[in-house]
Amino acid sequence: MAVALQILASGFAAGAVYGLVGVGHSLVFRLTGVVHFAFGELIALGVFVTLLVAAGSGPVSQTTVGGGRFLVALLVGLVVTAAASAGAYFLAIEPYRARGSTIGWVGASLAVAFAVRTLLTVFFDRPAYVFPDPLRLGVWNVGGATIQQRSLVVAGVALALAALGGMLLLRTRFGRALEAIAQDFDAAVVVGLPVAWLVGAAFAVAGAAAGLAAILAAPSGAFDVDAASLYGLYGLLAALVVRFDPRRALAAGIVVGLVQAAVTSAHAGGAQLGPAYRDVVPLALGLVLLAWHARRLPQVVE
Amino acid sequence: MTAALAFRGAARDARAAWSLRTWLTLAAFVAAACVPAVTGSARTADLAGGLYLAVAAVGLAFAVGIGGLPSLAQGAFVAVGAITAAHLLAAGVPTAPSAIAGGAAGALAAFAAGALFIRLPRAAFAAATWIVAWLVSLGAGSITWFLGGSEGFVVAGGPSPAEHYELALGLTALAGLAYAALARAPLGLRLAAARDRETAARALGIPVERARAVAVTLSGAAAGLAGALGVQLAGVGDPAQYGPFLSFKLFVVVLIGGAASAYGAVAGVIILGVLSVVADAIGSLEHVAAARSHTLLAAVMLLGVVSLGWDGLVRPARRGWSGGRTRGGTVAPAALVARTLGKRYGEVVAVDDVSLQLDPGTVTALVGPNGSGKTTLLRLLTGAVEPDRGTVEHGGVVRTLQATSIFPSLSPLEHLVTASAGLRRHGGVLRSLLSTPKARAEEARAAAEARSALTRFGVPVDPPASELTVTDQRILMLLAAAATGAPAILVDEPTAGASFAEAQRIAGVVDVLRAEGRAILVVEHNLAVVRKIADRVVALDAGRVVETA
Repeated sequence: MAVALQILASGFAAGAVYGLVGVGHSLVFRLTGVVHFAFGELIALGVFVTLLVAAGSGPVSQTTVGGGRFLVALLVGLVVTAAASAGAYFLAIEPYRARGSTIGWVGASLAVAFAVRTLLTVFFDRPAYVFPDPLRLGVWNVGGATIQQRSLVVAGVALALAALGGMLLLRTRFGRALEAIAQDFDAAVVVGLPVAWLVGAAFAVAGAAAGLAAILAAPSGAFDVDAASLYGLYGLLAALVVRFDPRRALAAGIVVGLVQAAVTSAHAGGAQLGPAYRDVVPLALGLVLLAWHARRLPQVVE
Repeated sequence: MTAALAFRGAARDARAAWSLRTWLTLAAFVAAACVPAVTGSARTADLAGGLYLAVAAVGLAFAVGIGGLPSLAQGAFVAVGAITAAHLLAAGVPTAPSAIAGGAAGALAAFAAGALFIRLPRAAFAAATWIVAWLVSLGAGSITWFLGGSEGFVVAGGPSPAEHYELALGLTALAGLAYAALARAPLGLRLAAARDRETAARALGIPVERARAVAVTLSGAAAGLAGALGVQLAGVGDPAQYGPFLSFKLFVVVLIGGAASAYGAVAGVIILGVLSVVADAIGSLEHVAAARSHTLLAAVMLLGVVSLGWDGLVRPARRGWSGGRTRGGTVAPAALVARTLGKRYGEVVAVDDVSLQLDPGTVTALVGPNGSGKTTLLRLLTGAVEPDRGTVEHGGVVRTLQATSIFPSLSPLEHLVTASAGLRRHGGVLRSLLSTPKARAEEARAAAEARSALTRFGVPVDPPASELTVTDQRILMLLAAAATGAPAILVDEPTAGASFAEAQRIAGVVDVLRAEGRAILVVEHNLAVVRKIADRVVALDAGRVVETA
């Protein structure tokens, strides 16, 4: 019971962040037909810019930063993430998407990912960072399980952002325009929608939302660029297995988080997979599911 | 005696293909072989490592350049080869069998990835292979059995750095030759056709998924072999060396050097290697670690390459085809028989209880208004769409598409050679790699037949098909369909938008194919053309046959 509760609390929070990243991946794919390989690294950019503004690049404890300064840092981090995400679209993805060059946009988005990653590791050269925690949330002991209060905040914020995103898409002119672009890119251009700007804005919003969830989750443990890359990767996995359906990507991300937590903590008798398999098992299961989907895809006909 | 004749034939072909470019390549190879004599052991080991990377990159270039597949798991296949070889070497297995086993393991892993994900659209295929790269990297890092976890897996003994260098150089040359041989073999032509226009390739009966899976498997074999030998050269299996960055780096060198050329990837490795040395020097001034400067360099170079729309440093040489005897075109008597076909899309009945027979040496015209179910019927007859009920029996059927669907980068000659690849008995991967006498003779015969057919109908032979007139492109589609040898050919609106003279020319080709004994079904709105070419007319409306005349 205690283990199940532990898995649910920690897995749900991490999974909600993956799910939110998955929603971003799905939105981007539906609008442009491209996979945003730099998503995780752009999230890392947001997290580290927030850290830089809040506490500099030196050693930091969780209690170093006050609420006001952290709020300013958070805003700067989100603006940078949104700008970088939109910039990546305009500079590295759209030119090749427009040319129909799959190899081009794959290469360009990977190049952005590794360029951002390298720049971050140049400025933040320690193996991992402690992230300041202005909320200074504690833990609850429930039924023998230790539950970080932060997990609930992260999960709540991620779900709220997903709900807000859904409302944005369904109830605003911006959302309806994005839906029109997703259904027929060329037709949207023909009827005079400012397609490039709308898609750029969607990239920015998706990046900022995922960045916010990642920033809130960062104080949960030691943070490094790889951790953010894995957010991007798990988000991509969640989006892929539901064929880039934004509504189901959130749920898929949560399932990924729960599987990861279960692999880490669950045991049957003396047998336990343990932390060594926490990344491998969800990825492998996701690929199996993807392969199953692939077998059912209809052949392309003309 | 046969062996001597075969040898003379091979020597004659080699002499015919010998050029200044060949001399320069040979000179570069000989000069490269002498390098260990002037470099120290550590530098020789670095160079050998670079050449093993080139072997993996040439394999990737085949999948990317010829197949158009954005495979991002090549680093993972290198890792699989390295893990396999490391364990075998630790168990006392000699270098050669360990390397072969590593290559086989890389091929197996790539085959699995290909078989599982090849049906995905290209964007999703790239994403899936990227996840594979991460999966293998994370597994190698966290599960100590694979490569010892963070402490690595020590691999003792083996050849000296100089021996590794010569071996790596030889393998790089062989990988390039294999690329070149396969690019012009049926496999390469099919891949290129599917890369250019997948639906048209399928309509010609090209087994697109199988060809792509083979391409990914071959690229995995090269990666596995490189990984197996590379781990012994390094003396330690370090999981950090097989991260997603390796897949990225291989992708970068392929795009920099040119994916469409046999040695483009090698050029890419050389460029990146030279620039890395420069970056190391600058990085040391700025106190930036080499690994970081290399990553940034690769990323910036790739951004530059894709931004400029660069096709790579090394461009492919235009393929030449030798001549040969023309074989008389004979078609086995066969017919296509469809019985009580039915297909619904939701509430819409697209095809309802249609039965049809196509006899050899006849042209059947299928007419009807837009939306009457003609295109759906063609899809049902070719098997592209499964019927809800009814059966289709045939001894081989191909289809041309309504839109002009040529493969832009292939010449008309290559179109026909590609289409006829399914008839070749000696054009398999192994025979093509070894360029056996039978494979070469068959290739020459196919080229001669293609040239003859194109010349007969006045279609240019050698320029890229994208440069042909629309009418020539449509005739090319018909000739490619005929070159498959399929007894039944389904032709979708061959004269749409054509002038009277152009329509007459296209109808003339259909006439000739009928005279050769083909069973032809033509969907056509131009009733003048229908009257000229059709032996029988079937009228379709609302998915049903309403008239046969």
